[in-house]
Amino acid sequence: MNLLPDDALERLMDSARSVAKVCERNSVQQWEVVGEQDYGHSIDLEAGRISLAAGGGSGGLGLRVLEDGRYGYAHIADASGAQRAVKEALSIARKSPSIEGFELPVDSGSAPTAGMIDKRILDMSSEDILQQADEILSSVTELDSRAVVTGGGIGAGAGAQVILNSNGIEDGGIHTSHGFGIQIGIDEDDHLTSAYEGSSSRNRLSDIDQVLERAVYWAQITRNTIDSGEVSDCPVLMTSQGFSPLFSMVVPTALMGERIAQGESFWSKRMGEKVIADHLSIIDDRIMEGGMSSSSRDSEGVLTRRQALVDSGRLQSSLWSTRDACRMMAEGKVEHAQTTGSATRGGYQSPPGVGCGNLLLKSSQKSYSRDSLIEEMDEGYIVHSVMGAHTANPTSGDFSVTTSMILRVEEGEIVGSLKQAGLSGNIGKAMADDLMLGDEVRCRGSYSSGSMYLPDVLLKQGLRVNPA
Amino acid sequence: MVIATRAQEGPITGVSHLLDRDKIRPALDLALSEGAQYAELRLVCETTNSASLRDGKLHSAIPGQEVGATLRILADGAWGVHSTTDIASIPDQIASTVRLAKAVASRRSSGDSGVSLAEVPIIEDELHWNTRKDVREIDLETRLEMMGQVHAEANDDDKIISVRCGWSDEHLHHELLTSEGMDRTWSFQRIMTNTMVTARDGDNVVSYRSRTGGEGGLEFIEATDLGDMGRTCRESALRLLSAERAPSGKMTLVADRDLTGVYIHEALGHPCEADLVAAGDSCLEGKLGKKIGSDIVTVIDDPLIRGGYGAYPIDDEGVDTRTKSLIENGVLMDYLNHRETAHKFNLAPNGGARAQDGLHHPLVRMSNTMIMGGNHRDLDELIEDIDHGVFACGSRGGQVDTGRGSFQFAAQEAWLIENGELKNPLKDVSVSGMTLQILKQVDGLTRDAKLAAPGFCGKGQTVPVGDGGPLMRIKDALVG
Repeated sequence: MNLLPDDALERLMDSARSVAKVCERNSVQQWEVVGEQDYGHSIDLEAGRISLAAGGGSGGLGLRVLEDGRYGYAHIADASGAQRAVKEALSIARKSPSIEGFELPVDSGSAPTAGMIDKRILDMSSEDILQQADEILSSVTELDSRAVVTGGGIGAGAGAQVILNSNGIEDGGIHTSHGFGIQIGIDEDDHLTSAYEGSSSRNRLSDIDQVLERAVYWAQITRNTIDSGEVSDCPVLMTSQGFSPLFSMVVPTALMGERIAQGESFWSKRMGEKVIADHLSIIDDRIMEGGMSSSSRDSEGVLTRRQALVDSGRLQSSLWSTRDACRMMAEGKVEHAQTTGSATRGGYQSPPGVGCGNLLLKSSQKSYSRDSLIEEMDEGYIVHSVMGAHTANPTSGDFSVTTSMILRVEEGEIVGSLKQAGLSGNIGKAMADDLMLGDEVRCRGSYSSGSMYLPDVLLKQGLRVNPA
Repeated sequence: MVIATRAQEGPITGVSHLLDRDKIRPALDLALSEGAQYAELRLVCETTNSASLRDGKLHSAIPGQEVGATLRILADGAWGVHSTTDIASIPDQIASTVRLAKAVASRRSSGDSGVSLAEVPIIEDELHWNTRKDVREIDLETRLEMMGQVHAEANDDDKIISVRCGWSDEHLHHELLTSEGMDRTWSFQRIMTNTMVTARDGDNVVSYRSRTGGEGGLEFIEATDLGDMGRTCRESALRLLSAERAPSGKMTLVADRDLTGVYIHEALGHPCEADLVAAGDSCLEGKLGKKIGSDIVTVIDDPLIRGGYGAYPIDDEGVDTRTKSLIENGVLMDYLNHRETAHKFNLAPNGGARAQDGLHHPLVRMSNTMIMGGNHRDLDELIEDIDHGVFACGSRGGQVDTGRGSFQFAAQEAWLIENGELKNPLKDVSVSGMTLQILKQVDGLTRDAKLAAPGFCGKGQTVPVGDGGPLMRIKDALVG
């Protein structure tokens, strides 16, 4: 293997076991050790050329200790710091509030998630990635001689992860990833248009050409600018790329069990009620084969699952970790809660938090091609990307963003592009009724947690377009 | 040849050198003998502590130490980079990283002269920005007690349903050795606390957040009125419960210090980054020396503003930092640069190279970016002749498309301005525009320019930044 040392997983597990032994020597009541080691190659693209090639690896260990429902955390670069880390974590635990019933998870077997490793990625060398970068640059020029890759990059990575705890969990695995993203610009006649597209996968990418075609298409089609219209509340077709940032900023947070219990979600006190259109479901599938956020266990070792959070428009479930569930019950915020295998981490440096894995938006009704959605919309706009999605308010679902990738549709036909427009509304209300989904689902990253698997969405109500 | 040496500012209170010079210097020499033009090794050791309160109770406390190093080699005009947490392995990576750089270079077209670096003083020294109260000596009880002050005031109303308080402090130790003979070690500290308050009235739920912090030690937080921070969050959250949706359209905007800061960071600071200019991804390409803003607009980027969250003494290429005058009276004077772009644009290196940590290579980044003050006395004078507009406060963040020159930023709360007076509270205010248009529409600034709340800037890598200015008035802003 070029990318990952053959014994990476064994070495990482040995390090974690060394930390575990230090916990046992210090008579820690309950302990959990996680380890991560990542390796990768990456290429930066800039101004139509390769600007830099990089490689390397990084990793470390995280330690959670638990004493009488009190927990502490510390992280270290390697097992040599274990004694210090155990002392620090215990010291913090003894100053933390006790949570009644809070214990680390117990092992209940495991079933590996399929599609997490592609041996072709493990065999990739830096020269392989350089060749892919060459092909991207030449393909863009072939698609449009005016188009230049102004930024972006391509990379391949592999990582090993382990988790073990005092309640019998001991597991580990390796995963691969391959991804790229490019910014394309067309600068002609003092008029610059640009577009960003990307793709990522656990397997060797097979859609690079299609992604490049989309990027060039959007840089081309937004060159045909038309006069701005008036402020209007009108239908908007959000492409998967345009919708994902807003959806990911708001919806995963609104579905966290603790936030719902605390009243911090716009879906608090709505369990069992209709919260979005009744043909829609929101599913968190953490065992999806090859999913970018799939894993057989969550970040505290609990087995993961596929769960419908919103089923046929009704809020049915929420995301919980072990600790949050115990805390909310102990504080009387909920009568009953238990982990849903939804613990996440920002790496070994962080204790487990809560988040989604692979979040899917599905419809029980027919799905439509983009052309059909445009025809159905008749009058309105297509939005392909937004600026400022991270400024959306996850507490209320309100957002007010800007787009330079917006097309005007009249009588079911694209008539031109606006130079810039504001787009505002409320995600929860826009999804409450009268919307249609496209038939092509794409995987996108997230502003909060997990990965978004979303189609194009035609939102017929609740959005305001404010042309510049 | 070493042309300067400098003594440290104060005694070193932590580790001195983590890189073994006797192993690293020969490794960098090996890179040259393998055909490299330049080689450097940069190490960063971060000693961090974070903590959080949820509804007044300790939620998490995380001590940690991270060490990472990045080897960067320039060969045949192209970069090869290797980053690792395994510091001892670095000498073994020299030859492969030279080969990587040469593989990139071999792909350059014949007309591409490749990367060259601007000359800079070659310095051997140690520089440690001291704090009065070292963050590494803060105990957990102190962190909890100070966050508790915020919580107590923030939580003081039945409609407040949750208060989340956070804390982070860090000691950053840097070492840089280069094949040119640079051998610099420097350190500094940062500290920050933040709060998010959520209020609910029936189905109406809103949140408001606040941050304070900067370069320095515990004394920075001790000098902050934490009770006032909590009170302000509570009052703003309660006000948002009854705020109306903002009007849409073009109107006069008055921005508070936070929003003035995020505006200048997004709209001007990013397009001024010379690596984006070189990539053909900046609307300011070819604009040096040209008038791009109104006469009253003067903008600086200054890593030497001690206490600013974006302060640092030496950049990640070992260049001494200095105040950069980006715009003077509306004229674009300089780009932010690193050694590569300084050479490309024939500019003096100005210390703009920053990396997220020891595992990332340096990019051109902002530090503390500010619009300087103008002639208006205060808010009242700024709004007295506005018939219809918006006064927007508190940042929810922003974003820019540097190539197109379009930007967006969002406010936490706002007020309608009618006939020169503040009227109804508003929510969900965002502002967008085109950099080259809107800089000319700034027509009023109050006198007192200061840094606002600390922030973080993402550009593939995340770095802490400061930004701010005075209260600012923009005519015909697109409010959404």
